[in-house]
Parts: sequence; structure tokens; C-alpha cells
Amino acid sequence: MVERRPVRILAAVLLAGTLVTAADAAPRTKDDLASGKPSAPRVRVDLISERAGIEAGAAFWVGLRQRIAPGWHTYWLNPGDSGEPMTVEWALPAGFQAGDIVWPHPERIPVGPAMTFGYSDEVVLLTRITAPAGIEPGTRVTLRGRAAWLVCAKICIPEEAGLQLTLPVVSGTPPANPREATAMAEARRAVPAASPWPASFSATPETVTLTVAAAGLAADQVADVYFYPSQWGVIDVAAPQAVTIGARGITVRVARGALAAAAEMPIDGVLVIKERLDQGIVSHAIALRATREGTPATAASSAPPRVSLLEALGLALAGGLVLNLMPCVLPVLSLKALSLVSHAGVPAARPWRHGLAYAAGVLASFAVVAGALISVRAGGAQIGWGFQLQSPVFVTLLAYVFFGLALSLSGAILMGGRLTGLGQTLASRPGYAGSFFTGALATVAATPCTAPFMGVAVGFALTQPATTAMLVFETLGFGLALPYLLLAVMPAWSRALPKPGPWMERLQQLLAFPLYASVAWLVWVVSQQAGPRGVAAVLSGLVLIAFAAWLHRVTRGASGSWRWAATTAAALIVVVAIALGQVVATSSSSARSSPAAGGVPSEPFSPKRVAELRAQGKPVFVNFTAAWCITCLVNERVALRSSAVAEAFARKGVVYLKADWTKRDPEIARVLGSFGRSGVPLYLVYPPALPGPSAAAEPSVLPQLLSEGMIIEAIEKI
Amino acid sequence: MSHQSLTRRRFIARTGLGAIASGVVAGGLTRPSVSWAAAAVGQPAPAFTATATAGSSVSLADYRGKLVILEWTNHECPYVRKHYETGNMQALQKETTGQGVVWLTIISSAPNEQGYVTPGQADELTANRKAVPTAVLLDPKGTVGRLYGATNTPHMYLVDKAGMLVYAGAIDDRPTSRKADVQGANNYVRAALHAVAAGQPVKTPVTRAYGCTVKYS
Repeated sequence: MVERRPVRILAAVLLAGTLVTAADAAPRTKDDLASGKPSAPRVRVDLISERAGIEAGAAFWVGLRQRIAPGWHTYWLNPGDSGEPMTVEWALPAGFQAGDIVWPHPERIPVGPAMTFGYSDEVVLLTRITAPAGIEPGTRVTLRGRAAWLVCAKICIPEEAGLQLTLPVVSGTPPANPREATAMAEARRAVPAASPWPASFSATPETVTLTVAAAGLAADQVADVYFYPSQWGVIDVAAPQAVTIGARGITVRVARGALAAAAEMPIDGVLVIKERLDQGIVSHAIALRATREGTPATAASSAPPRVSLLEALGLALAGGLVLNLMPCVLPVLSLKALSLVSHAGVPAARPWRHGLAYAAGVLASFAVVAGALISVRAGGAQIGWGFQLQSPVFVTLLAYVFFGLALSLSGAILMGGRLTGLGQTLASRPGYAGSFFTGALATVAATPCTAPFMGVAVGFALTQPATTAMLVFETLGFGLALPYLLLAVMPAWSRALPKPGPWMERLQQLLAFPLYASVAWLVWVVSQQAGPRGVAAVLSGLVLIAFAAWLHRVTRGASGSWRWAATTAAALIVVVAIALGQVVATSSSSARSSPAAGGVPSEPFSPKRVAELRAQGKPVFVNFTAAWCITCLVNERVALRSSAVAEAFARKGVVYLKADWTKRDPEIARVLGSFGRSGVPLYLVYPPALPGPSAAAEPSVLPQLLSEGMIIEAIEKI
Repeated sequence: MSHQSLTRRRFIARTGLGAIASGVVAGGLTRPSVSWAAAAVGQPAPAFTATATAGSSVSLADYRGKLVILEWTNHECPYVRKHYETGNMQALQKETTGQGVVWLTIISSAPNEQGYVTPGQADELTANRKAVPTAVLLDPKGTVGRLYGATNTPHMYLVDKAGMLVYAGAIDDRPTSRKADVQGANNYVRAALHAVAAGQPVKTPVTRAYGCTVKYS
């Protein structure tokens, strides 16, 4: 049955090196071919390491390299209509732990009327291994395992082989393994990157349509798009995929798979996009999780996620109730409660009508927020509760509103004929519109706050059809409205509140401080989104609002025309403050490109800025990019945002300039042209200018497909 | 109920797509276009007539009123051998045919491809392997295989007494060629038969078939 072939010895000789001691490296087939065809090894497998040693307590990457005979294939995680992926049984030394296989993206292998997904020629499957802390530098460690796989041409053969790799234990970070660096780097390049774009899908009984919200891609630059599902049965893998690239992004329409329930769950898979660049076509693999778009037609049959609708509604109600206690909402609510105190005992006040008006205000404004959220998500954007806070302009305006409210609580803004704040004015306004408005205000105030229980409920709502989602959001709103509503409806309860007195004014002033704190937090949010310019703008706006409040107050007692002029001036000042929000918006566009987390901050590119920085003795890294360039986005995700690159930049004092060619800037085009390019990406590393007249050392040009290692290497060379 | 109407619509769409596909494979999306995978669980099993090793014609319609198991096979495929060399497939054949179930083994390998056999070779294999199918059908043109969307060997189907397809997919839940995996595997075909016998819906009506690709011409 089992044949042992001399090739094994040959392979062992070939592979025996300082690092790799291969034993049993050539596969043996469990079932030899009954057809009597000659049996040569179809896949040779060996274990390779990214690093030339192991550090105690650290994780490192190894690769299972398959060298596949011409005409034969091995399989991906989801092999498609037929086939079987490789499995590995590790027999690692004590304390070592191996992660799951990380799969490079596959290629299409049609077999007759069926479609399979796999690899040919050579592929390296990656695995992360964690070493225990207690291993001694100077010793050697041997990693062992057994791999089993199926290899097919027209016929299929299961094969298996032992894996073995001996590495020295070293102290500190082990050096790269030069022999396998290329193979490992290529494997990493082929592993799907986290998607830069959100994805969603819609399904009919016949088809599934995936939408990847990659808006503004240059369609003529995309050579091919193919979606590889991670699970069988989700789509008909043998069916053609109809791809369109348009304003909404990339859509892939394909016949549904055999599993009826598959379209009820998120669809996972890998989208491989081939993009035409100056130097040929490059492939990008992007890991997608497409969530189902809200489709009311299937509301009844939608699969239950972790929580049921009833549970979600319960959590939403609880979350809404708790929202009342959050620092951004509490002051608004307390004012309403105070108004009840002052109305206590006045029979004509009909507090319950105010309660209803207030609840209506909350529910109506929640409907507006939820409606916006649901419709924007239907457009493919991946947003959640508090999505408005992603807009620095909105955050700025919210800071103004909170600041205005806080000033009124502090007594700095005077409205109406009494020494009362804005909130109380509204609360005590005889019309029910005042109560309705307070409800809306409570909702606005609640947007930056999340309460316990809310996350689960909102998360549930966003996976549901629009009607269900709306129900959950309205329940949340009802929870928010409930405490005041109860107080208003139950006069006996409000009678339990303390009697009116001077304490009310003190409490009102005290309540201003949570709002000031909220303003401080919002300014911090702006600083993250729009940088120092944005902060300057929003702080100036706050000063202007304070000035307008003062102006309005001091001219209150003045004669008609003076008062009119001052009010107009105050209004104008507020308009100016709001206009300053525009500065925040424009600051954000350049600042947004520097990722908030884990990335290197960037400045906009200009040839002048490059010359300046170099003259200051600073090396410069220039990233020529565009929002519609897939390669650029993938490079940024895979390489530029890594912490190792950030460290290298910091170590060498490299300044990161970004040349955004999204709008085809002529100056950038000229620079691209001077490097023989007609498009992006282009990556340049400029060394600092040398003293003397012949200062300009040429920049080095990095490849169009970046890896972390390449950038670091180029930086280290400066 | 809704499940059935859902798959009916899908059936219509599929066959429609198959017809359109031949014209629409433009845009560099190459794929052989055939009227493919017409069989759908929850729908009537497509009617077919094929030649048995004995030379007689066998039609699915002949067995209306009986449960029918369809087994696609290729005796050289390691996955098929897993189930025959362990006696797993023969045991299921004995058990089911003993209860009056019809077992049709179908060979869709084209001439000169792996698994292709003459009627004589097929009978010899049945005898040597102590297999007990009701009949072995030869489908060298792949007509029946394509009609059912059979992609793998083994690929299993169950047709109920009313002629509806109630199961399609793998023989069990261990998609390997390791013989040791036969022990303790959950046999989907047996589970489907039990459900049908008890008058209940099949719990797992569709699974991913595993094995070698069917060696169509």
C-alpha cells in the first residue's frame, strides 16, 4: 500500500540546511493509484520560519510551504465544490502553542461543471506559534507536526508528510531568516487584509448581491473582481459572478448556494481585486464580512442572533432608563423635574400633558436619528449609534449646544423676564411645544452618551429589518422618556419632591458642570478628528458664544434700538461661531488621512515642504495616494499603519508626507511624471539634504506593493 | 410551506440562469455553461433513464412509491475507497435495501477517465466488494450526473416515495479520506432515511458533498 520513494532522500538532502532539517519531507500517499499511473511526488511540504531563532515568551510565524507539481492543485479553506484543505496536527514541545492556519487567497480552479478554490505551483500557509517564557537562550527547539492534504489534477490523491524544523533559542528579537524572507513576505502579501470598506449583501430567493462600499474607485483600473466565500453553500460557486463598479462601490451578483439558511447570516469571504497599475496588474485580497441589508420581506424568517427581539426590547428600555443618569442627559432631565416642583400644587398646569409632549419629543427625535441611521446603512455605510460623532462638524455644533445650555444653567444667558436659564424657560413655558422641544433636546444631549445595555440592543437593531430596528430605537427613546413621564403623570410622585426654594437655583448652577465637562470631552473628540486647527476653531467658537451671551445680557435693560442692535450682533456672532465649524470640516480632510490609531501622522505634500524638511536635516517619506486606488489603501492597511513602521519613523525622525491625488492635482501629477509614473501609488524616501551645493541625493523609490519590512529596510538605510 | 415555494422559485431561476449563462459569460468571467444543478432538495427529483450493467433500462419513475438512494461513485477515488474498504457503504446498502429501499449506484466517469468501467467490470467490482445495490447505472456521458449536479464521488441523494428529492450531499460529516473517520461519523443518509420513515422533515437536507470530482467528459 504505502510506497516509500527515493525522492524523499533527495528532498531531505536538498532541504538539510542550518535551519531546516527536513525529515520525511516528501509525502507519501495513503492510497497509491490503482490506475497504475506513475506516482511521482505531487506536493513537497516543508516548514519554514520567518525568523532565524525563537525568543522566549514571544510569538513567531512559520510557513507550511507546499511545492506543487505542475498541473496539480491543493485546496483553500473552502475548497469549493470538491477537494479538502490541508490539516496539520502539531506535536510541539511543552508550552508551545500553534494558532490556526492563516490562508493566502486562493485561485479559481474550474473542474468540468464544478468550481474549486485552491493553489498551484507554490504556496505558503502561515501559522503563528507562541513560545513559552521558560526556554533558555542557547538551546535548540524542534517543532514537529504532521500535515495531511488532498492534491488533485483530474484525479485526486490524499497525501501526508511529517514536518520538522529546528531553531535556536535566542535572547532578544531574533534576526530575520534571509533564506525564507521572500517566501514568507509573499505569503503575507497573499493573506487577505482587513477590508478598508464596509460590506453588505442583499438576497433574493435566486441571487445574492454583495456590495462593497468602495465608493469612487476607478473602474477602468480594475481588471478583475472575484468573491471567494469562506463557507460552502452560501453562493453557487460554479455560477458566474456579475461584477459592477459604480458610485456605490463594487457589487457582485451571483446565484445563491444550496444552503437556504446561509443568506440569513453574515457572509464571510475574500474579495480578490486585480488592479491595473503602471507596472502591470496586481492582486489584492480583502477579507470581507458582509452583513445583510434590511429587507422587510424576510422579517418573519430572519434567523435569531444572540438575543431575541423581546430581549433586545427589554435591554433597550433598560438602556433608555439608564441614559437619564448619564452626565450629558441628567442636567436636562433635572430641569424638567424642577419645573414640576415649581408647578406642584397648581391645578391648571396639567403636568401630565407636558409629560406626554416631552415623551413625544423624545420619540420623534429618536425616530429621526434612527431613520437616518437605517437609511444610511441601507446605502452600505457601516455606521452605528453615535455615527453623527464621526462628523467633526456635528461634534463642534454639539459642543456649542452643550456650552450654550451650560451657560444658561450658570445664569450667564438670560431669557424671558425672569432670572432663569434657558432650560427652565422652556420647561416653564406654558405651551406644550416647550416640553416637546425639551424632549428633542434630551435626545440630542443623549447622542454622545451610551448607557449599559444599550450596546446589545442597538447592535441587534442594526442587524434587523428597518421596522424592527425602528421598534428597538423607539423603545430606547421610551426608556429615556419614561422617568419624567411617570413623574408628570403621577402628581403624587412629584409631590414627594422637595418644596421649591433657593436650593433649586443652586442645583441648577451645579448641573452646569456636567455639561461643561461634556464640552471638554467633545473638544477632545474634535482634536482627534481635526487636529490642532480644529481645536482652535471650536475653542474660538465657544469664546464667541460666551461673548454673544454676555452682549445679550448686558443690553437687556437698554432701550429698544440698542437692544435690537445687540441682539442682532449676538446672533451674528453665533453665526460666525457656527461658520467656524467649517474650518473644523476642512481641517479634518487633511487630518483624517492620518489614522487616529496606531498610524504615523502625516502632513500634506508639496515639493517645497520636502525641500524645507530636508534642509532641516530630516528624512522624508512621501506617500502618493488616492481614495480610489485600491493598492494604495491596501498598502496603508497592510504596511504603513503598522506599529513597527511607526517606530522606525520615530527612530529616524522621518516626516511622513501624503500626496493625495484623489482630485488629480496637477502639481502632484508633475511629480509623478518626473518618476515616470502616470498614476498612484508611488512611495519615495528622501534622505536629509547634505550640506553643500550638490545637496540633493536622489530619493529611493519603493515598490508599488509595500510590506512592513520594505519600508523599515528603506528607512534604516537613511 | 414557505420553504417549498422559495426553492421552487429558485429552481426556476436556476434553470433560467443556466440558459442565460451561455450568453452572458462575457466580461472575462469564463465558465463552462451547462444546464447545471437542476435538482433541488424540496423539489421533484428530475426524471431520468439510464442503462444498468445488465443492459436493461432503468427509470427513476419505475420506483415511484419507494424510497430511492442515488450514489455517485468512482472506485478509484480515495474517498470512495474509504467507504468501501471499511465496508461502510456495503453495510448501508444491506441495511436499506433490506428495508425495501432502492439503491442505484451511478458511474458518470467518461471513457478514459478515472473510474470508468464497462458493464462487466462494474459487475465484477460489485461482486468483489460484496456490494448490494439494486442496480449499477452507467452514465458515461454524464447526463444524469449533470442533471443532479453531482460534483463528487461519493455524492448521495435520497428521493422519497412521492418522488421528491429530500437529501443531497455528503455521506457523512467527516470530509476526509481517512478510513479511521468512518467510526463515529454521523451518516447523513441514514439520518435522512430515519426522518422520512418517521414522517418528519429531514433535519440536514443539504450538505457539502466531499470526495473526488466526478470525472465528466
